[in-house]
Amino acid sequence: MEDVLDEIVSSEDLQKFEKVYHEQLHQGNVTHKAQFEYAWCLVRSKYATDIRKGILLLKDLFNSHAEGKRDYLFYLAIGNARIKEYNKALHYVKSFLEIEPANQQVLALEHQINKRMEKEGLIGIAVASGAVLAIGGLVGLGIALAKSTNK
Amino acid sequence: MSRCDFKIVLLGSEHVGKTSLVLRFVNCRFSDATPYQNTIGAAFCAKTLCANGKNFNIGIWDTAGSERYEAMTRMYYRGAHAAIICYEPSSLESWKRLRHWLQELRIVEEDCKVYLCGTKKDLLDSEALEREVDEDVVATYSQGLFGHFLTSSKTGENVDELFQKIVEDCAADVQMMKNVEENRVQLQMESEKEKEKYCYC
Repeated sequence: MEDVLDEIVSSEDLQKFEKVYHEQLHQGNVTHKAQFEYAWCLVRSKYATDIRKGILLLKDLFNSHAEGKRDYLFYLAIGNARIKEYNKALHYVKSFLEIEPANQQVLALEHQINKRMEKEGLIGIAVASGAVLAIGGLVGLGIALAKSTNK
Repeated sequence: MSRCDFKIVLLGSEHVGKTSLVLRFVNCRFSDATPYQNTIGAAFCAKTLCANGKNFNIGIWDTAGSERYEAMTRMYYRGAHAAIICYEPSSLESWKRLRHWLQELRIVEEDCKVYLCGTKKDLLDSEALEREVDEDVVATYSQGLFGHFLTSSKTGENVDELFQKIVEDCAADVQMMKNVEENRVQLQMESEKEKEKYCYC
């Protein structure tokens, strides 16, 4: 099932908000709105470098603009989850839930993150056990070969 | 590539009850105890519905009503097969904004099927709130659209009916069904390719 962690921004949208942000940056006066909108697009990009940039912009907003803190926390969690920094993502989720314990969106996000961690953890184990089997096979083959040459 | 057959977006001013409507539909519950929380950006939910003897996976994007997010919620209209525009019959303000939401939607998705939804019916029925939007006005306005429903997320009245109507209208749309089939075939092919990638035998 697709969800907020899979959704990808279109390149036109990203470029549109990037342009606004850069114009304001050039004039030396970036509004919270422009920075937030650009960061929102960045964390929904398919490229990890974009997501990391979005995270930096959101962190900056979080420290400078108290009014939008819940938005910034939410997208910080999403951004980190998308680059598989699950522990960081859960840390932001937790901070959010301290303020709004019953927030449906954030509880759903927490659930998604946990599900992904579980899924990827299992895949990790599967790959590792596959490697063990392969190495075991090679060793076995080596022993067999050694035996055959000894004869 | 979407794994949902139909995409539905919810639009409307803040506090009209878009999220409550979705939660009632998807989870079959309504919570009086939860304090109001404005949606951040857009939230996603999915549910399977049956129409015309077939099952359809529908994805619902519940967009934030707050003006703060307006530039970005527009992105979620793209590719929507149907849209539910919500208003509160007890708030003339929310009704006046309806035209604005419809225009916003049409800019992005011209052919989207549009449904109007008047919320908080239970509060009108119990006379806790007074109707400010004339029923005739609503009837006239909704004529060019796909339907109008008066719902209560608290009691559940008309909520399933609204979504059922949308899925039935989509299932009856030949072009839309053709696209759904193509999308399913494409997904099937992709998932098979994906399987091959992980097969080391």
